[in-house]
Order: sequence, then C-alpha cells, then structure tokens
Amino acid sequence: MSKSSASASGHALWSKMPKANTELFALTYGSLVTELIRDYDNADEVNSQLDRIGHSIGVRCVDEFLSKAEVGGINIPPCQTMKDTADVVARIGFRMFLGVSAEVANHAPDGSAFSLFLYDNPLSIFVELPTAEEAAVISGGRGGCDLSKIKYSNIYCGVIRGALEQVNLKVDCRFVRDV
Amino acid sequence: MAPLHLFIVNKSGGLIHHRSLGPKAPKIGTNDWLRIGSTFHSLHAIAAEAGPVRLPGNKNPYGADDGIEFIEAGGIVLSCLQTRTGVKFVITADVDTPDLDPLLREIYVLYSDCALKDPFYELEMPIRTDLFTSAVDALLERFESRSTKSSADRPIVRF
Repeated sequence: MSKSSASASGHALWSKMPKANTELFALTYGSLVTELIRDYDNADEVNSQLDRIGHSIGVRCVDEFLSKAEVGGINIPPCQTMKDTADVVARIGFRMFLGVSAEVANHAPDGSAFSLFLYDNPLSIFVELPTAEEAAVISGGRGGCDLSKIKYSNIYCGVIRGALEQVNLKVDCRFVRDV
Repeated sequence: MAPLHLFIVNKSGGLIHHRSLGPKAPKIGTNDWLRIGSTFHSLHAIAAEAGPVRLPGNKNPYGADDGIEFIEAGGIVLSCLQTRTGVKFVITADVDTPDLDPLLREIYVLYSDCALKDPFYELEMPIRTDLFTSAVDALLERFESRSTKSSADRPIVRF
C-alpha cells in the first residue's frame, strides 16, 4: 500500500470510531500503572504485567481492525513482507485506535525487524518518570520499586505482539528508548 | 428469501456460536450443531488444499485462507466468511437470498464489538453474550426490512 493511501485509510477508520476524552484515557491508564506499581514492588514485574494486559487487548483489537476495514470498504491487501506489516500497523492500526500515526524505520536487512517511532504518545501526556538517582531517593533505599526502570507505555508492546499473534505472526516487541 | 441459520467456528474448529435466524429454520440439536461445526471446519481446510486453482500463498484477495466461500445446493445456500484470524462465520439461507456477504461482514463487526469487548468473554470459547445476540437480532430485522422493501419495488408480472 502506498504511504498516502495507508494514511488516508487510517484517518477514515479513525473518524468512524467512537471517541473518548484524551485526558480521561491518559489518567485512567496512569491510575492503572500506579496500582500495578503499588501491587508489585518490582519494575520488571510491572513491565511484564503491562505487556500481558496489552496482549489481551491486542488479540481483540486485530479482529476489530480487520472487520471495520472490510465494512468501511478499505481493502488491506495481505502483507507480503514484514515491511508491509510494519506499514499497516503503524499507519492504519495506530491511527485507527489512537488517532496518532507512528513512523516506521530501521528495517533489518533480512526483513525480520523494524522500529516504530511514536512521536505523539497519548498515554504519557501527563507523565514524567524519575531518573535513576531520583528513583533511588523516592524508594528511600528500601529496595522497593525502581521507578526509573518502568516502561510506562509497555502496553503497546503487548498490543502489537497480541495482534500479530492472531494473524499467525510471532513477534517480539520491546521498547528501545522512551523519552 | 430468508436466512436460516448462523454458526461461528473458531480457529481450532470448535463451534462457538449457533442460532436459527428465522421461523423456517429446521431445529438442530446441540450435539448435531457441534458436529456440523467441526465437519465444516475440516471441509473448509480440505477444500483449500484440493482446489484445482491455487491462489498465491493459498490466500484469497482478503488475505484469509482459500477455502469454501459459497455452496449452492438444491434448496439451500451456504455462505462462509473466513477472517484473517481464523474465525469462520457461516450462514445458511434460502436460495435467492441476496446480500449474504455484507450480512456476514456486519456480523463480523458485531462479533468484534459485542463479543470480543465483553470482559467476561474468553477467546475461542462459546459466545454467551446477550449484547451480541440482541445486536444480531437487530441486524437481521434491518436486513429483512431492506430485502422486503427492495422486493416490493420490483414489478410483479402475472400471467
């Protein structure tokens, strides 16, 4: 699919979706993460829980994505290469559900990996994670949760992993860098 | 001119939903339904392999696996929509019922909106969501009214 037609499809699908208030969405997610931090004292555990939650969401998102695209008359041709998959996920998928487009770059030479750049993350509009030194101060040396190691938007990794799993593509999705 | 039955098969071949869509639909027991579901799943898979014309990658233009799309028999037609995630939506209807394909696509949308978003619904398990059942009812009513309206517009020639 050409880039502009993919973006146009994404925009068309986004306009048909019921909308929610961005702030409500971001704050609800924030309270979810806060509860997880209170429940699990370990940053890795919180990250894996977010990934698991994202996985459950992703397996359901993909059917919604495919069904609404078919009914909306938008034909998403079967992806022949990983590059096509990347484009569909970034330009149409992210656009449809979040209203923001992701950029795709850094394709691995054998076509087995790619990077997604999300410039506008609606989940983290109110969030600032402490640096490692500040996090040590906050946990007060108790050996509690290291807040600087939390991958706040790790839910996206789970969503992508779950969604692609339903179409028989086993992927591993990780945050490489978060602002 | 009416749809008769709807059944939904998950990607492992188990039946997750079945219902009759009209008063003319014959009554089928639950065990028979389960058998029908898994038999159809196997036939679909065999048809994909046995088809003389093979599409590239064994996939049809929508990306779902090649397989049974439409069966036309003496007194019944059967239409199947297979999604890229492996779920099959199958409708049987009277011969000459129009628009089964859009109906199936709408049911797919209802599945993703009502059944999947139900927090108590587990994937691949039988659908027991009231919202889904009532949404399918509403969809069928709209389908019936649309088809009766269009048949009323057609001139009827009598000899």
